[in-house]
Amino acid sequence: MAAYLERPKTLTEALEIKAARPEALFLAGGATLIAMKNAGLVDPEGLIALEGIEDLRGITQEPDGRIRIGAMTRHRETAASPQLTGSLALVREAAGKIANPPVRNMGTMGGALANADPGADYPAALVAAEAELELIGPDGSRRLPIADFFLDWYETALAEGEILAAIRLPKPEARASTYRKLARVSGDYATASCAVALTADQGLRVAIGACGPAPLRAPEAEADLRGKLHDPAAVAALGAALVALADPVDDVRGSAAYRLRLIPRLLASTLGTLLEREAA
Amino acid sequence: MSALTAITLDLDGRRQTALAAPDATLLTLLREGLGNTGPKRGCNQGVCGACTVMIDGWPQRACLTLAAACADKRVETLEGLAEDPVMASLAKHFAEGGAVQCGFCTTGMLISARKLLEEDPKPSSERVRAALSGNLCRCTGYRKIVEAVQAAGQGLAQ
Amino acid sequence: MRIEGTFPVSAGRERVWSMIHDCAVMAACLPGCDSAEQLGPSSYRVVVSVKVGPIKARFTLLVEITASERPAQLQCRTRGEEGSRASQVSADSTLRLEEISADETELTYSSEVSVTGRLGKFGLGVMRKKADQIAADFAKALQARVLAEPVE
Repeated sequence: MAAYLERPKTLTEALEIKAARPEALFLAGGATLIAMKNAGLVDPEGLIALEGIEDLRGITQEPDGRIRIGAMTRHRETAASPQLTGSLALVREAAGKIANPPVRNMGTMGGALANADPGADYPAALVAAEAELELIGPDGSRRLPIADFFLDWYETALAEGEILAAIRLPKPEARASTYRKLARVSGDYATASCAVALTADQGLRVAIGACGPAPLRAPEAEADLRGKLHDPAAVAALGAALVALADPVDDVRGSAAYRLRLIPRLLASTLGTLLEREAA
Repeated sequence: MSALTAITLDLDGRRQTALAAPDATLLTLLREGLGNTGPKRGCNQGVCGACTVMIDGWPQRACLTLAAACADKRVETLEGLAEDPVMASLAKHFAEGGAVQCGFCTTGMLISARKLLEEDPKPSSERVRAALSGNLCRCTGYRKIVEAVQAAGQGLAQ
Repeated sequence: MRIEGTFPVSAGRERVWSMIHDCAVMAACLPGCDSAEQLGPSSYRVVVSVKVGPIKARFTLLVEITASERPAQLQCRTRGEEGSRASQVSADSTLRLEEISADETELTYSSEVSVTGRLGKFGLGVMRKKADQIAADFAKALQARVLAEPVE
């Protein structure tokens, strides 16, 4: 049973509390942590709610054009953000596909990333968007490319005592991007997902979700596809490269074998839709 | 055994206080501390939606909300929406339209539907289904619920 | 769920057989092993801690060797729980030692594991991945130990 709930108003306060009470867990939206607690899977001695910290909220555009998403931004807000357009639309689409409306009113991007559920929606979209994370701890703040954030199943590069404060996305470009999710039913975790963003040089960035501890990305195979996005054989080669990186689980949402079969098909289908959208 | 603390909420327009553990959920506080049994304990995992209440004007899961975190928030359940014309229209159409069988999902459905009609009084059935996708019903097969929501919206337009 | 694998050990079968029956060796090589003790001629008690994200599980397992053919093969039945009976674990396992050479053994394990209770309820597909990781780490640790302690 958690004996206390601290509700700091600033990041500094939150970090001080954590330093004094290392056994406490940070609480973001609660959509996952409280569910786990209710199920008896975690039993923290205390909780530090991040909800009251102003600095962690809001989606803003920085002077250099990059979009900053505060870690406590709710999925509903991300899904409705007019800033996430064009090359960043895939992040908005991913947010809108998480769970259901009441859960989207509660869950946060920071909480979702810190939990790093392999079946979650943001990781693949943010990897394809080449997001950068800002982590703040007792020793100061640091920036980390999202590609370096997911270390293993439910394990991230967040150090003990650190808070994920913000997610930064590159300046939005007027190019098509999308996030496609295959799930058994609406609101479920993905069986497999595909995030695609077209790039200026007739290329693309692709990340596959729910097929390993972290999203799958094959930048060298992506480079080979430049100028050949309409070539099925070239697309199939990228699909094969992604399958080679995959390490899917067998679970109720699908067998590992099924997920491997999905990857190349999901890629071809999502890319096809995106190219039609770009042409229109 | 953790000490119980007094938790005060702005619940349905009144300040109400109950004793609860510091990590009690809002659902526990409402049902057991304050006798407000509108929201139900279904899965206690945030999946079924039977516990859905309005917090600061947005439908949220009471089973995933800590009561102690609601001290400065506005919580609304069906009890507090009894005089609300939108809710009255919804309740009427649910009851008359066969959208209630066992009733377990109903309070959560009504909260989610209330939010939808506030944003869009004439939603398409796809829009209704999307808005209620976080509320599971094992009895009705959903069709009557969707129709009742649309009828309630129409009823308001008159 | 079925967990199986195979790995080489740079020692003869007899030596590997002795090592896997040695509680001190097992406790040192099994990742997260808090203790391993022999209770009787063919039974052992092993306590292992496993962490997945914020979930920490401490398993108390009773291992009963049900068939033994030194130095080639053994079968054992494992029963246990974690979290004060919050989850229950049971496994039927077979361990085979194949002689590759006088100093090289191939160890093959095959285990049918079932988990019920709070950990089993959520169909955590990641459990198998974790089990595979533990097995791989065990193999590395056993091999390292063998190489660090050459037999005269």
